[in-house]
Amino acid sequence: MKKGYIWNRLLRSVISILIIMLIVFTMVYTLVPRDNIFFEDSTYRKLGGKSDDKTEYVYSTWEKLGYLDYVRINDYCLTLYEAGSPEMSRAIEPDSQESQDFAALYTSRGYTVENFLISGRYYAYKDVPVIKRMASWLAHLIVIDTPWSVQDPGNPDLHRGLSFGRTPSGGVALIGSGTTHKYLLYTDSIFPWIHQNIIKLNFGTSYPTYQGLDVLTVLFQSQGTEVKRPVTFETGYEAESGIIFGSLKYKSILDRMDRKKFVDNYATFESRRNQPSMIGTSFIMGIFAMVLAYALGLPFGVLMARRKDKLADKLGMMYIIFIIAVPSLAYIYLFRYIGTTLFNLPSVFTTYGPEDVRSWILPIISLSLPSIASLMLWTRRYVVDQMNSDYVKFAKAKGLNQREIFNNHIFKNAIIPIAQGIPASLAGCITGAIITEAIYSVGGMGKMLPSAINQYNNVMIVALAFMFSTVSVLSVLAGDIVLTKVDPRISLSEKAGRS
Amino acid sequence: MAENRNVILSAKDVEVKFRVRDNYLTAIRNVSLDLFEGETFAIVGESGSGKSVFTKTFTGMLESNGVVSNGSVMFHGKDLTKLKTDKDWEGIRGAKISTIFQDPMTSLNPIRTIGSQITEVIEKHQGVSKTEAKAQAIELMERVGIQNAADRFDEYPFQYSGGMRQRIVIAIALSCHPEILICDEPTTALDVTIQAQIIGLIRDLQKELKFTTLYITHDLGVVANVANRVGVMYGGQIIEYGTVEEVFFDSRHPYTWALLSSLPQLGVKGQDLYYITGTPPSLYNEIKGDAFAPRNEHALKIDFEQEPPFFKVSDTHYAKTWLLDPRAPKLEKPEIIRDLHEKIKMMTDKGGAFHVE
Amino acid sequence: MNTENSNLFEFAEFDELESEHIAAPRYSYWKSVWKTFFKNKFTVVVAILLIFIITFALIQPTRSGYSPTDTPNINNASMKFLKPSRDHIFGTDHVGNEVFDAVWAGARNSIIISFVCTAINMLVGIPVGALWGFSKKMDKWMIEVYNIISNIPFLLLAMILSYVLGAGMKSLIITMTCTEWIFVAYFIRTQVMIIRDREYNMASKCLGTGTWTMIVKNILPYLISVIMTYVSRQIPSLISYEVFLSYMGLGLGTTNASLGQSISLYTSYMNGYPHLFWIPVSVLAIISISLYIVGQKLADAADPRTHM
Repeated sequence: MKKGYIWNRLLRSVISILIIMLIVFTMVYTLVPRDNIFFEDSTYRKLGGKSDDKTEYVYSTWEKLGYLDYVRINDYCLTLYEAGSPEMSRAIEPDSQESQDFAALYTSRGYTVENFLISGRYYAYKDVPVIKRMASWLAHLIVIDTPWSVQDPGNPDLHRGLSFGRTPSGGVALIGSGTTHKYLLYTDSIFPWIHQNIIKLNFGTSYPTYQGLDVLTVLFQSQGTEVKRPVTFETGYEAESGIIFGSLKYKSILDRMDRKKFVDNYATFESRRNQPSMIGTSFIMGIFAMVLAYALGLPFGVLMARRKDKLADKLGMMYIIFIIAVPSLAYIYLFRYIGTTLFNLPSVFTTYGPEDVRSWILPIISLSLPSIASLMLWTRRYVVDQMNSDYVKFAKAKGLNQREIFNNHIFKNAIIPIAQGIPASLAGCITGAIITEAIYSVGGMGKMLPSAINQYNNVMIVALAFMFSTVSVLSVLAGDIVLTKVDPRISLSEKAGRS
Repeated sequence: MAENRNVILSAKDVEVKFRVRDNYLTAIRNVSLDLFEGETFAIVGESGSGKSVFTKTFTGMLESNGVVSNGSVMFHGKDLTKLKTDKDWEGIRGAKISTIFQDPMTSLNPIRTIGSQITEVIEKHQGVSKTEAKAQAIELMERVGIQNAADRFDEYPFQYSGGMRQRIVIAIALSCHPEILICDEPTTALDVTIQAQIIGLIRDLQKELKFTTLYITHDLGVVANVANRVGVMYGGQIIEYGTVEEVFFDSRHPYTWALLSSLPQLGVKGQDLYYITGTPPSLYNEIKGDAFAPRNEHALKIDFEQEPPFFKVSDTHYAKTWLLDPRAPKLEKPEIIRDLHEKIKMMTDKGGAFHVE
Repeated sequence: MNTENSNLFEFAEFDELESEHIAAPRYSYWKSVWKTFFKNKFTVVVAILLIFIITFALIQPTRSGYSPTDTPNINNASMKFLKPSRDHIFGTDHVGNEVFDAVWAGARNSIIISFVCTAINMLVGIPVGALWGFSKKMDKWMIEVYNIISNIPFLLLAMILSYVLGAGMKSLIITMTCTEWIFVAYFIRTQVMIIRDREYNMASKCLGTGTWTMIVKNILPYLISVIMTYVSRQIPSLISYEVFLSYMGLGLGTTNASLGQSISLYTSYMNGYPHLFWIPVSVLAIISISLYIVGQKLADAADPRTHM
């Protein structure tokens, strides 16, 4: 397998992702009315009718979100005079010379200059072009934690350096001082057992819902109620807590409780909770559904091919037609109805919660139903195609019986295109299943995108779009690599591209 | 000439029908054939004459819409036409009767190693261990002329050339020492130079392993080179059969005449080449009389009315034509093939290969 | 020896024309298509059912004048949530409207949308795809465009378009066609590439057949079967999409009748008044399944290899 080819494909994948992101950015930031983002914002509602505070809030929020660049007369005057001085108070009034200079200056720079409704003071704003917006997003995408990451004016003598040590929960760790996270590398008992905080992705903070929370936190943090267990802090303080030591981050102002527990400024932490995160929930459900789908779909597909046009084939086709033709909404409800009445299983996930196996059964099977149908259909087709090929005729002439021909020849050939689709199936597990999760009230990824769109949470939309497209594009590449492993005829250097 | 005059396979009055678009097509109309142990028998004829179909009845490889509607094929006391399931055929297909097909490219499974495709047959029919099977396979590969057999054992079909693939196919077919080897146009898909090698290989192996070969071909050159006896098929029937010398130099059926006359080597510079007008008959309809009659310049009126029986020319030579009936007018062979013997000698003396197509 | 026999042994006249007679049974492609299609009694029944349903769905709403915003009985508690009976065939819903009217109005919209969108996708996708398949130069850059478009999450696109364009029929049609056509084009391109290089086309070319004749006589008949398979799957799938989008709160919006809308509305009443949920779902299922079956069987019939 030529290394050069893989790099080439990776490059093209990255370009694809970038273009997709550009399209998404354009759609979200230019096509969606910018006023809509305030629909779900409670602060906005509290500010009531037209007022200067409201205008200020609106524009500074827009600036925070990157829509525009926003400057007020106050900011301009701060470059000339001291804050709080009498010159300042005079300069910011709309009739002052400084205000005229401000207006002239920013108009010449292409800004729109306006006045606050009540005070009449000037402010100016200019839209940030989409490309610049996206470039800035990309620039902040990857964050590397170094001993100089923390710049705290209240703590100018902060020691900066790295050392090795142990975490209070017993793992080994690379400890940083001056870094945002205390433990840059550490081990503990949570999957995947070795964790790093050095390189992180930064998708921004969610707004207006989950306000202030980092997007990744929202998605990857475990949900539910805190799981407390006896814990000994570094200070010797003992308490019941769900603290995850590895998550300790720098906090500039410590309160009494912090000082009780921590010896240094690293006092912000995440806690262990009893429910898996959104991504976790969807992923677990997806994996089990996928395994079930392959475990049932493949054998049934083969059976249908072998008994072509007989009863087994006809029954299988009826199932496939039903699943394909009827909207999933309908048959999932139907299935749930059967499951709840006949087997007494809970109708929503939240009845018993994620700790109880019974909550998972119906959703997982519902999720797998369409995949089973699809696998049955395609497997049947591939197997039938193989059954008609010349080498099967020769194998028969060699004296092999049906079973041997199937196991040793047909199946191996038919599985090739199916294997190519496995990475894509895996990718599907991450994106979550919108309808299934909605019907069973599962707290997973499925509802994130629709609700983010409903709530005009642009940050989240962009983050999700990035995640989904990356996973999708890379799964295609992975599928092609799998193909070369399974089919000895294909070497990647010959493949000119996805086709 | 065959050493042993034991009949190894005997087909009698075989009739094969196919169901096509609600119509029935009779592909094989009442064919009988006795195969002798150790001989090389060639079946020649145009495309669509039924050559392949006939031999498929020997291995139960008819398409799903085909059925043997009459007759029997006796082999070792069993009637092969009565065998239906895979289990019935166990021990016969691949073990006692093997087939090699026309296209070596598609006869092999592209994603399995060459070696595994040989050993699976050996393991199945002989029940030996993997290592033993591998050893036998490598030996076989060497015998059919594959260099560095041990290294090439784990390679894939796409890494072999066409001629080498056909050698492997032959190796597979012979791996369990069958009694009969059916070769269905084994050289048609190969280069001319490779053709001679493959034919030679089969002939040498036959001498060594002592099996009976049944060739299906439209290549008269192959027939001339390796066959002991030949049968000419037309319209689903064998219309003439005998030893190669008899059929080539003393043919009696007008179709055989026409076939031989069509050899391009017999063409004279400056004159038109000979060809048979028309097309073979449709086998959907009942055929009245001799199937070749409409295209036969020398047809008798009775050829359109009644099907001719086999007339004996010699102990080994029979032809199904009314021309051999004592009541029929005497007819000489066409000019063009009258001195076939001389013409062939001239050709081969001059160093020209007696090869058709 | 009688004269009869001796006559028989005379040479017959050789008729060269007779020897050229081809006696294979006559075969007409389109006749075979219909014959194969109608052979299966079950398919014929389903097809008749489908025609009846579609006609009814197109006519009934005009006669009933139903609209979801038109709620004359909204304050009449005795008209709400009635179970199916002789007077109210499908019962009544939470605002006192006839479920019968609602369902058929929704069905009509679903059918119209899916047919219109499929038609647009085909009209755009097939020519583009055919050209794409023929032209190697076009393939080079078109495939990059395809890679990009096919990776945009459809839901994202649908929802954003919905917000930008507002809800309603027009925006829904745009949503469901703006990216779908390229999948059609890609599919056609692959098929065209497969048969473009087949020998019978090369033979035609050698014989001097014009490009247009080749497309119409050589390639199109093969494509028809393949296109019909695609269409038979597209239509139910578009209906599914519409239902899905309506369920999510997008799609046709609250002013238009829609099966998806109805289903999503009635879900909350499932425990108390199951008929509200199951009736639209069943109607939807029947329409989808019939469309699919008829489409598939037609596609199978159009494939000459099945003309046994």
